[in-house]
Amino acid sequence: MSSTARIRVLSGPVADQIAAGEVVERPASVVKELVENALDAGATTIDVTIEDGGRALIRVADDGSGMGRDDAVLALERHATSKITTAADLVGVASFGFRGEALPAIASVSEFAVETAPEDGIGTAVRGSGGVIASVEQIARRRGTTVLVQRLFHNTPARRKFLKGARSEWRAIVETLGHIAVLRRDVHFVVRHDGKVGLDLPAAPSLRARLAALWGADAIDRFVDVDDVYGVLHLRGLIERPADVGTRARRVLLVINGRVVRDAGIMRAAEAAYRSTLPAGLRPSLVLDLTLPAGDVDVNVHPAKAEVRLNERWPTERAVEHIVRRALGGFDAAAGIGGWRTWTPGGDTGAGPRGDRADGIEPWMLRVPTAVDPEGLFATRTTDAPITDTPPADAPPASATHTAAPLDSQPSANPTAAPASTTAADDIVVPPLMQLRRTYLMFEHADGVVLIDQHAAHERVLYERFLHTMHSGAMPAQRLLFPLTLHLSAAEADAFELAAEAFAALGFEVESFGGHTLLVQAVPMPHPRFDAERCLRDTLAALAGDRGPSDAARHERLASTVACKAAVKAGDALSPGEMRALYLDLARTTLPANDVHGRAVIVRLSWDELDRRFGRS
Amino acid sequence: MRFTISREKLLEGLQAVTAAVPAKTTLPVLANLLVETTDRGIRLSATDLDIAVSTEVSADVEAPGAITIPARKLSEIAKELPPAPVKIATSGEQRITLECGRARFKLLGLPRDEFPTFPQVRFGEAWRVKSGELQQLIAHTAFAVSTEESRPILNGVLWELREERMRMVATNGHRLARMELPIPGTDAPPSDLIVPPKALEQVRRLFPAEEELEIARGDNHLGFRSPFTTVYTRLIEGPYPNYEQVIPKDNDKHCILDKGAFTSALKRMSVIASDQTHRIKLSFNAGMLKFAVTTPDLGEAADELPINYDGDPLDIGFNAAYLLEILRYMPTDEVKLTFKAPERAATIEPHGWDGAADYLCLVMPLRLMD
Repeated sequence: MSSTARIRVLSGPVADQIAAGEVVERPASVVKELVENALDAGATTIDVTIEDGGRALIRVADDGSGMGRDDAVLALERHATSKITTAADLVGVASFGFRGEALPAIASVSEFAVETAPEDGIGTAVRGSGGVIASVEQIARRRGTTVLVQRLFHNTPARRKFLKGARSEWRAIVETLGHIAVLRRDVHFVVRHDGKVGLDLPAAPSLRARLAALWGADAIDRFVDVDDVYGVLHLRGLIERPADVGTRARRVLLVINGRVVRDAGIMRAAEAAYRSTLPAGLRPSLVLDLTLPAGDVDVNVHPAKAEVRLNERWPTERAVEHIVRRALGGFDAAAGIGGWRTWTPGGDTGAGPRGDRADGIEPWMLRVPTAVDPEGLFATRTTDAPITDTPPADAPPASATHTAAPLDSQPSANPTAAPASTTAADDIVVPPLMQLRRTYLMFEHADGVVLIDQHAAHERVLYERFLHTMHSGAMPAQRLLFPLTLHLSAAEADAFELAAEAFAALGFEVESFGGHTLLVQAVPMPHPRFDAERCLRDTLAALAGDRGPSDAARHERLASTVACKAAVKAGDALSPGEMRALYLDLARTTLPANDVHGRAVIVRLSWDELDRRFGRS
Repeated sequence: MRFTISREKLLEGLQAVTAAVPAKTTLPVLANLLVETTDRGIRLSATDLDIAVSTEVSADVEAPGAITIPARKLSEIAKELPPAPVKIATSGEQRITLECGRARFKLLGLPRDEFPTFPQVRFGEAWRVKSGELQQLIAHTAFAVSTEESRPILNGVLWELREERMRMVATNGHRLARMELPIPGTDAPPSDLIVPPKALEQVRRLFPAEEELEIARGDNHLGFRSPFTTVYTRLIEGPYPNYEQVIPKDNDKHCILDKGAFTSALKRMSVIASDQTHRIKLSFNAGMLKFAVTTPDLGEAADELPINYDGDPLDIGFNAAYLLEILRYMPTDEVKLTFKAPERAATIEPHGWDGAADYLCLVMPLRLMD
């Protein structure tokens, strides 16, 4: 046989079957291709009918532009597409499909029918099987296109064998459609499975409203809105409140320039923004919708277009991390009790303050690069470095104003205890604060009652300050009259050796005193009731046996440990001045809502919830 | 129990003891005052278990007895009473009636047995100290105690009694105050007592300066007694750190400063100094002391003060709040500053003082960043 084998061009249907292997893996990919075609045709309502998980029937009906008779026949040819004509068009493709592979590929592995009409009235019906057109007829129908795919993979038994059960294929279809529905919130989707309506998604004014229809309204309450521009990157979406992470199944969705894609790098960057707010091992749910200049993204990487190539990967990831962190720093990111409304449900269209900000087609319209130098995406690389640590305007390092009243002497004995506000050159208004159980600070907010855990809050404040100090220079150190002597275990002594420089930067002046004994000559004074010895002991005990992979990781670990040990404790009575200072400091941190262990710093109790409890609703 | 007392005497007694009533307590009887009749009148007592204050005021006793009365309510009532004799009587173990003019009050007290007994202090072995001298020591040192709970010893003031002299020392590990007075011919046994400042504050407040106090020890307590008033306190167990060792003897640089001018300059710098560290920089140069402060994100400030200094130039950082605090307790218009190096302790002493006492304060420097 090998001697007679000669090279020849494959027949059309065979080539299509091979292409089908790439494009059409399972019913869900057929649905995806057909629905995307419908969307590219400008449909406003798309009706999908599935039987037996898509094995018996997939029917996609739209009210889009439809096709004339010639187009309908040609559409079944390989690489026939109306979406691009020249190679140059590949750059900046904005439509879903463009390869011209989908329809012929699907047709080649199924019994296939297309009914279409460009206007109400006369239309065309094309039927075929296994990629061969059997008949072309004139029919009467409304404007739009209906594609019927029956007996999928009937002629490719191997592929058919690999299909999973009907239920599992249906789930895949729902997921695929969910992704598309998120992108095209302007389109009404109806999906039926074996005669029952599985999904009914009317056009939604916002991403939040669409996801509420898809996942349920209460599942959406745990997300915080993101809508921010960084350089030429525009990021919108919903990110899970750190306090809620881990309470439900994780959901992740990444959209880049209107395509649902997978990109581990971007997701990692977004998760990195949660660093220090989550307990180890938990990963947040994220819905991210990125808009980048079309020239910076190459979508022609994977046939199913699930991956993209970014021209400027590193700065893009940086920007994503930065925006997510900034959003987590917002008040909305704090844990809530009982439906703290940040959103009005889809019903009242765009009535809410942020109701209509993400109207379906908008991503394409808003893609105007914001004022950055014309060089290109993130051309100003020199400014990249400090970004994650010192966000531009909203968070000056908090050292400027702090605890106004040292407690180690009579209050009147502090000539320098001027009110903190004298140095606060910003517009943070401190509400009247009240201390509860010497543990929580409470105040009233427009939407309800807010509680702050004083220890967690101070820990967050100190953590960010320490981290900043370790990068920017030495902390002031108070020399001690009676040096502290610490006797350490071997593991603690090792931990100290490893972090000696960082300790020095934090203001601990320590001499090794032979063996495992340390002599502490000077200590930092982050607040008047700071207990240096205990802090140092506890920190070393916590760090013992801990070998951070990198300097940066070790620094973070050290900063968080020292912050935890140094912060005011639950049970410490705070003076009004201290409460005020703590509030201001917390307001200036980048991530106020969570402490370094991922516990909540702020808990909000909404008026709605209170009213409900008192039977006032 | 039944007695009549003037409104003024009642207020006087209440004022003396209510400071010892704890603001919050898990033991309800501590919120009450113990009222007992004596030969001379009545005795009012209050305690928070750390300190106890007891004072006697004159009254006409008709029937002897004792009871505890809610302290806060009794004080509030006493303040509002008309100027007339106050009659207080008990019925049973808990009921109290108070009459003054046409006003009548009924209060619910607690039986006297529930009130803690006072510590055993051996006044038979008491020694004598002039109240004014003790108060001078307290006023100049107690401010420097530590409020950190990690080293309880530093939460107290060290009272050193030696032959012919006594001394008080307090420190929080960053700054220290020490004052010594000669007490010729004293009968005090040499001892080191670590006294909580709260008790010393009562001693300072309650006894007239010219009074002779009897002071006596119990096993772990100390008592201060005048003819009418007694203050008891728990002692903190030592040993106190060896403070003598850290007071520099070899500070080779010194200068005399005008306290007022120095204070004003420090206050000006403090406006810009960090609220946490209050860090300022002092630069000593021939003839001139320069002040400088830089606080990131806030700004800078500088000042100058002509001085008579001829040592080597030296830059040294301090917590301005510590310096200002010490200056406030300096009894003279001029102070003497001594120092040696940027990481060594500096001392401040009164200059040209004609008092009998020897007074010295010490401050540890702050590390300078630049």
